[in-house]
Amino acid sequence: FPGLADVSISQDIPVEGEITVPVGSHSPDEDYSTLDEPVRDTIMRDLKAVGKKFVHVMYPRKSSALLRDWDLWGPLVLCVSLALMLQGGSADSKDDGGPQFAEVFVIIWFGAVVITLNSKLLGGTISFFQSLCVLGYCVLPLTVAMLVCRLVLLAGAGTVSFIVRLIVVVAMFGWSTLASTAFLADSQPPNRKALVVYPIFLFYFVISWMILTFTPQ
Amino acid sequence: RGGRGGMLGGRRGPPGPCSLTGSPPQALVDDTEDVSLDFGSEEELALRKARIRHPLATFFHLFFRVSAIVTYLFCDWFSNSFVACFVTVLLLLSFDFWSVKNVTGRLLVGLRWWNQIDEDGKSHWVFEAKRVPTIAASTEAEARIFWLGLIICPVIWTLFLFSTLFSLKLKWLALVIAGISLQAANLYGYIHCKLGGQKTISRVTSRLFGTGDVPQRQSRSISEDKTEEHGKTVPR
Repeated sequence: FPGLADVSISQDIPVEGEITVPVGSHSPDEDYSTLDEPVRDTIMRDLKAVGKKFVHVMYPRKSSALLRDWDLWGPLVLCVSLALMLQGGSADSKDDGGPQFAEVFVIIWFGAVVITLNSKLLGGTISFFQSLCVLGYCVLPLTVAMLVCRLVLLAGAGTVSFIVRLIVVVAMFGWSTLASTAFLADSQPPNRKALVVYPIFLFYFVISWMILTFTPQ
Repeated sequence: RGGRGGMLGGRRGPPGPCSLTGSPPQALVDDTEDVSLDFGSEEELALRKARIRHPLATFFHLFFRVSAIVTYLFCDWFSNSFVACFVTVLLLLSFDFWSVKNVTGRLLVGLRWWNQIDEDGKSHWVFEAKRVPTIAASTEAEARIFWLGLIICPVIWTLFLFSTLFSLKLKWLALVIAGISLQAANLYGYIHCKLGGQKTISRVTSRLFGTGDVPQRQSRSISEDKTEEHGKTVPR
């Protein structure tokens, strides 16, 4: 190498560096070699993900955590608790509250599916289960409203309690709608945002109506 | 892919003496009748011989499904309340869905499926099948239990659907539909994993075990790859 004849390396320059071998994508099989430990880890990881999403709903910020790792545990828990609290509040109390319970269930899930289909037909980029996840988690403020309403109704069923309940339900309804549109409206083209927000508004309105008109027997 | 072909067709080294101690094989055969090569600890040997290597996973795989069905059938004996039965069966179905999808599938048959959402918001369904067997891999008994449990339960829930429709007990319809969708989702996911794995395996083997010499085959498969990559219309 004639060109390199005059190159000299002084001996007190240390040659250092790092050799990093890029590890290929960690196959999930290797993570789970025993039964006990990883299952507990899996459960804890999923529980933490659910908890984080609840926090995100209470303080809606533009973050992608709710969107990327969707799960339907939160919506299931919220739906069941809302349906449990709403049952037994109808005029004909001959039943044990059966149909009302299934009604609430069907309204929430069917409503969420219809809204998701609507937003997909309007050309939304969000996926089916992501949308269900967001809509389900944003029922949390209304569940809190239901809890508050039931507590207020324990105290009495007069005009004052109705006004208190009205204020609470309207506030929580606004919160739910704002939280869900913060996540869902972004995935739509700008001129379609109202078309997407309107069904969400209607969905939470129906749930709020059920909560407001609940009278225990 | 070429590397794998090379391994199959390449030359192995000459076989050395089959004893571990270095003494000539004959002496070993004379001393003891059976030569047990020590692959690992006692635990691993027991694990190899057991017919069910993951007893807890097998138990839970069947426990949630069967108790959901039993609770649905016999809920009148336990309590009068429709709501309690509904919630119990729904929770059992959800736990079953989660445990079959996340735990028992990968432990009992080495299959896994999930949904991933990448940076631009597109969702991909990923189906994965484990190919390299490890010591703690599943046995036939476990695989049989897994697939039987996976297939029979959705069929039973479909029967429940028809019985609900025809006896007009429509308040149970929501529950039965939820049960069918959860169990059918797992069934579909795992069948997709299984069939997907088999398809890729058969494609690879047909490429490697074709006619002709293996070294030639190996190089031909590489060049085939190249022509396929660079343009599908290039005539060979």
